[in-house]
Amino acid sequence: MTDTQWPRYMVLHQEQDNKPHQHAGTVHAPDAEMALLNARDVFVRRPDCVSLWVVRADLIFTRTQEELALHPDWLGNIQAAGVPTEIYYVFAKRTQKGQFSHVGEVEAENPAHALKMALQQYPAVDGLVWWVFPAKAVLKSTPDDIEAMFAPAAVKDFRDQANFHALSVLRKLMRKQETSNEP
Amino acid sequence: MNPELKQALVDYLLAMADDELILGHRNSEWCGHAPILEEDIAFANIALDEIGHAIVWYELAADVLGEERDTYANRMVYFRDAPDYRNAQMVELPKGDWAFTMLRQYLFDQFEMVRLEKLTQSSYTPLAEAAAKICTEEIYHLRHTQAWVRRLGLGTEESNRRMQTALNELMRYYEQLFSPSLADTLLFEANIVPFQTELMVHTLELIVPFLVEANLIPPRGSNFVGPNDVIYRHEHTEHLNDLLSNLQQVARLDPMAKW
Repeated sequence: MTDTQWPRYMVLHQEQDNKPHQHAGTVHAPDAEMALLNARDVFVRRPDCVSLWVVRADLIFTRTQEELALHPDWLGNIQAAGVPTEIYYVFAKRTQKGQFSHVGEVEAENPAHALKMALQQYPAVDGLVWWVFPAKAVLKSTPDDIEAMFAPAAVKDFRDQANFHALSVLRKLMRKQETSNEP
Repeated sequence: MNPELKQALVDYLLAMADDELILGHRNSEWCGHAPILEEDIAFANIALDEIGHAIVWYELAADVLGEERDTYANRMVYFRDAPDYRNAQMVELPKGDWAFTMLRQYLFDQFEMVRLEKLTQSSYTPLAEAAAKICTEEIYHLRHTQAWVRRLGLGTEESNRRMQTALNELMRYYEQLFSPSLADTLLFEANIVPFQTELMVHTLELIVPFLVEANLIPPRGSNFVGPNDVIYRHEHTEHLNDLLSNLQQVARLDPMAKW
């Protein structure tokens, strides 16, 4: 059976210039350009976004802390082969509730090599789960996109759930009913 | 502003507002029915944007008339019958298939983008300021609809056929967006709005090469309807009645209700 589902893209967004990119979620899209547009609509409904990246989920190389601990030899056996290197982005999830966030970049020959380099280069990062993926696999929004793609969200407070008081009104009504039912 | 010019400006603003309201409402019919979840959210956002733009134009019209903004917009939207609506027929046609919807939105967005850029130069400052604000959102709409038109036009045999069918159908209605009224001439002479023919020339310069690149055959020349087929803005298809009965149903149940 042919899978008709479009590929998944991971969406990474940055709230402010001095903050790292963070994993926002995933979108399905036929290609990276559409993924970037979809990412904007699904994840930039509220303000505070200065940059958006998308990368195909199947290009992300990932290992958990447990996997690394279970197979201590695995990392040791990875050796540089002397082939050309490229830049990889490194992301890590540091707490159970936290999102993956951007740790830095390494230059490596392949994904596994990139992870080994990342663990050496960022020993202070206590990652529960690690992601590495080639920088060239990422499609990024440009500074020009900010005005048209992200800025309008700032004035559309009707998209923010905090502006809909249905739940609190409902609770208030129910409280009132409870009090009036009391003898 | 003399009364004649004032009325012309209100008519112009109402036509713009009605176009956006009706198109936004048509687009909202895809909510929950778009081909994929991501597009469902994206297109619902676009529908909301268009309705938001309509409100901007209704409120400007209210200001020109010295009326209260909220009550004016609500009255215009919920308590006018079809013959009083000034939208072009193109935006009231049923949503059709995804190809028809996307192509309609693209053609409208490109026209709107050209008009908004010109309106930022309007001698009527509130209009120029509103146009500049809306412009930034339209850049994104256009990017979204262009992405779809390109992919559907260049996609499969079926997607291309559906797009071409939609294009042939829509082009019969597109010219109405550019037909000037006598009032428009007054506004043009006062440097408040651009000349309609100029808008048409600019828009066609942009859409024709784009459609060709998307493997679609655009209409020949600029005269795609013919001089005998001018449609006036009070003339509507039967589809507007259906749309309005849906849109106005709740408000008309109890016109005095406070929302």
